[in-house]
Amino acid sequence: MNRFMGLPLKRKISIVYMGANVLIFIVSFFLILGINSMAQSMELVYQDNRQLNHLSEALTDVQDSMTLYLSSKTTDSLENYYKNAQNLQDISDELVGRVSDNSFDRMRRNIRNMTNDYLGVVSQTVEAKRGRNVEKYRNHYETATELYEYIVSYINSLNLDQFANNSEYYTQLARAFRAFETVGVIVMTLVMVGNIIIITSIVGMLVRPINMLADSANEVAKGNFDVELPNLSYRDEVGVVIGAFNQMIISIKEYIVRLRESMEKERDMQEKELMMEAHLKDAQLKYLQAQINPHFLFNTLNAGAQLAMMEGADRTYKYVQTVADFFRYNVKKQETNVTIGEEVTLVDNYIQILNVRFSGDIKYEKQIDERLMAVEMPSMILQPIVENAVNHGIREMGDKGKITLSVYRQDDRVRISIKDNGKGVSPEDIEKILNGNWNRKENQYDNNGIGMDNVIKRLKLFAGEEDVMDILSEGPDLGCEVIVYLPLSKNMG
Amino acid sequence: MILKSFVRDYGDEQSKIRNSRAGKIFLICTCVFVVAILFVGGLAFRFYLKSFAKSQVVQDYDKYYVMITDNYKSDFWNSVYSGALEAAKAENVYVDLLGESFSEDYSCEQLMKIAIASKVDGIIVFANETDTMTKLIDEAVSKGIPVVTLYSDNTKSKRLSFVGVGSYNIGREYGRQIFNLITEKRREDFIESETMEARKSMKVSVLVDTDAKDTGQNILISALQETLSQENATNSEFSINIVPVNNKNAFSVEESIRDIFLRENIPDVIICLNELNTECAYQAVVDFNMVGKVGILGYYDSESIVNAIDRNVLYATISIDTTQMGEYCIEALTDYYDTGNTSEYFTADVTLINKANVSEYLKKEEDDE
Repeated sequence: MNRFMGLPLKRKISIVYMGANVLIFIVSFFLILGINSMAQSMELVYQDNRQLNHLSEALTDVQDSMTLYLSSKTTDSLENYYKNAQNLQDISDELVGRVSDNSFDRMRRNIRNMTNDYLGVVSQTVEAKRGRNVEKYRNHYETATELYEYIVSYINSLNLDQFANNSEYYTQLARAFRAFETVGVIVMTLVMVGNIIIITSIVGMLVRPINMLADSANEVAKGNFDVELPNLSYRDEVGVVIGAFNQMIISIKEYIVRLRESMEKERDMQEKELMMEAHLKDAQLKYLQAQINPHFLFNTLNAGAQLAMMEGADRTYKYVQTVADFFRYNVKKQETNVTIGEEVTLVDNYIQILNVRFSGDIKYEKQIDERLMAVEMPSMILQPIVENAVNHGIREMGDKGKITLSVYRQDDRVRISIKDNGKGVSPEDIEKILNGNWNRKENQYDNNGIGMDNVIKRLKLFAGEEDVMDILSEGPDLGCEVIVYLPLSKNMG
Repeated sequence: MILKSFVRDYGDEQSKIRNSRAGKIFLICTCVFVVAILFVGGLAFRFYLKSFAKSQVVQDYDKYYVMITDNYKSDFWNSVYSGALEAAKAENVYVDLLGESFSEDYSCEQLMKIAIASKVDGIIVFANETDTMTKLIDEAVSKGIPVVTLYSDNTKSKRLSFVGVGSYNIGREYGRQIFNLITEKRREDFIESETMEARKSMKVSVLVDTDAKDTGQNILISALQETLSQENATNSEFSINIVPVNNKNAFSVEESIRDIFLRENIPDVIICLNELNTECAYQAVVDFNMVGKVGILGYYDSESIVNAIDRNVLYATISIDTTQMGEYCIEALTDYYDTGNTSEYFTADVTLINKANVSEYLKKEEDDE
C-alpha cells in the first residue's frame, strides 16, 4: 500500500484504472466462459437423438435398398445397398453401448448387436438372391424384415426415452442458465460497486493532500502563518509540492521573527534617545528660564569680585567668585555628562553661597572616596538634591542644620548619600517622590527649577535601570537621607 | 442516476472520514470484498456446474442377462426380477426385464428373437411347451446363449435348467384347502337340506390358460385330484372341472372369468393358477355378490390378494418365494459359466396363506412399506 502510494501520480492513476478494467475483464471473462460452456452443453443435449435418427434413417435405407434389389435386381439398387449397408455399419459402430446401470447404455448395446445381426442376415439375403436361391432368400428376407421391425421399434423406444430424459436435462440446463445469469448479474453489479468504491477512495486519497495543501495555502493567503502544515505522506509529485510549501512557510516564519526582533531593538533605541533628549531639553529650558543671560551675570559678578578685591574685602571677593563659579558650572556643564568631582564641587559652592546668604547656618560635612571622583554621572543631580534638603529639611532650623555628603563604593556601584538632620519626609511623600507623583509647588522661590522627578528620570536613563535612588527618613524631625546609585561599570568600561 | 447519487453521497461521506486510517481500512475491506465476491461467485458456479454435469456413477458389468416374461408389469414378475437383479449384481452381472423398455408389447417369442439378435449372455424366459418356443430356445443355445426357463418349462428344448415351483406340492396344498372348504360347506348343507338326495355335489373349477400347454398345470391338477381322493374315499361329493381361460388377447381373461358367473352352474370353489386370474375372480365374486358362496383359492401374495383374504373374500392363496426364484435363475447361469453345467431343476419355496396366518403377511407388507 505504502509502496503503491509512493509511486508517481501518473503511474498511480494508471494502475487504478488498469486494475478496475482488469476486474471488469475478469468478470466478463468468467461470464463468457460460463455462457460458452452452457451453450456447448445445450448443443449436445439432443445429440443422442440425432444419432439415433441417423441410425434409423440408415437402417430404413438398407431395408429399402435390399427390398428394391430383391424386387428388381438392378445394379443401381445393389450399389445403393452396399453403400447404405456400409453407412449403417459405420453409424452403428459409433454407438457407444455397454452393460451398465444406465438403461440407455444397455439399449444402445442391444441395438448395435441387433443391427450387426440384421446386417448379417441382409447380406445373406442378398447373397441368396444373387445365387437365385428363392426359398432361402425369401426366408432370410422375412427374418431380416422382422429384425428390422424390432430394431426400429427398439430405436423408437430408446429415442422416446432419451428424448424425455434429454428434455428434462434441457429444462435443468435452461434453469441453470437462468441461475447463472442471475449470479452473473449480481456478481457483475457487486464488482462494479466495489470498483467504484475503490476508485473513489483511491482518487480521494490522491486528491486529499492537494485539498489540504490548498486549504493551507488559502489560510496563508489570508495572512495566517500559524496554519497546521499539511503532513507529507508520500513522496509523489504532490508530496514534493507539499514539502516545498512547508519549507517555504517555515522560512517565511523565521524571516518574520527575525525582522520583528530587529525592528523592536531599533525602536527601543530610538525611544531611549528621544526621552533623554526630551528630559535634557526640559532641564535646559528650566535653566534658561531661571538664569537669564548668565554671561551677563558672570561678568557682573566678576566685576563685583574685582571690586571687592580692590577694596580688600577678601570674604566678599571669595563669595562673589563662588557664586560666579556656581552659575558658570550651570551654563557650562548642562549638556554633557560630568564627573562626580565636578558635581561635588558644585555642591560645595552651593553650600558656601547659602552660608553667606544665611550667615553660616548650615553645617556641611564631606566623607568622600577620592578614587571615585573621576566617575561619570549626569550633570545637575546632586545640587538639586542638596537644594531640596536645605529648602524642605533644615531651612527653619537656624544654625542647627547639617548636611552630610558621602561618596563611596558599594559592590559595583557608587553610592552617593546626601543626608540632613531636618524635618524628615513622611513615607507617603517618599513614595510619591520616587514614583514621580510629587506635585511641585509652582513659582517657588529660590531654587533652580529642577525637580526631583527630573533628577530621577535622568538617573534612570543614564543607569539604564530602575533602582537609582533611595530616600530614607526615620520619622518627623529625624532627618532624611537621599541615596543615589551610579553604575561603576559604565565608567570603568 | 442512483449510481451518481451514490457516488456523491459516498464523496460526502468520504470527506467526513477525515481520518485517513479509517479510509484505508475501508478501502482494504472493499478490495477484499470484491476479491471474495469474485472467488465465491466463481467457486459457487463451478460447483454448480460440476454437480450438474455429474451424472450418477455408472457401474459396468461383465455379463448381460435378460429376463423374458409375458407381462413385465405384474407384481409377481417384478418381484422375481428384483430378486434376480440383486443376485446378479453380486456376481457383477446385469439383468434386464426385457419388454420393459419397449413402447410396444411383444410376446415372449418375439422378445426371444430380440434377445438372440442382441447377443445377450443369458436368457431367462417364461417359456411354454410350444414348438416355436422350443425352436427359439434351441436357436439361442446354438448361438452360445444359455437359456433358463422360468416358472413354466419347455421340456423338449435344450434349455439349461428350469426354475419353478413344486406344482405337485401346490396341487396337494390346494387339495387340502379344497377339502377343508368342502367340509365346511357340507356342514352348512347338512343343516339346510333335509334329504340325502337334496344334497348337491360340490363343483370345483380350475381356471387354466388356454394357450399354455403347461405341464406344471397338469401336474398341479392331478396332484389336487389325488389329494382329494385320498382325503375323501368317495368321489361322489365333488366334481372337478377345468375351465379354460382365454388369455390370447389383452382383455379376454377378465371376460372369460365373468362368463363363469353368468352361467347357470356357478362353481362352489374356483382355483386360480396365476395372479391376474386371482384378481379377476376376486373382483367378479365381489361384483356378483357371491362372497361366501364361492370359495376362491388364489395364487401369489400381492397386496390386494392378501387383503382379500383378510376380508374373507379369498379362502387361501399360495405365496411363492419370488426372490428365491430370481436368485435361482442367476445361480443356474452363473454355474453354467463357471463350471459348464448346472442342476436341471430349481424349485422355489411355497407357503400357503389363509385366514390363520394372513396377519403375518399383512404385517410384513406394512413393514416393507
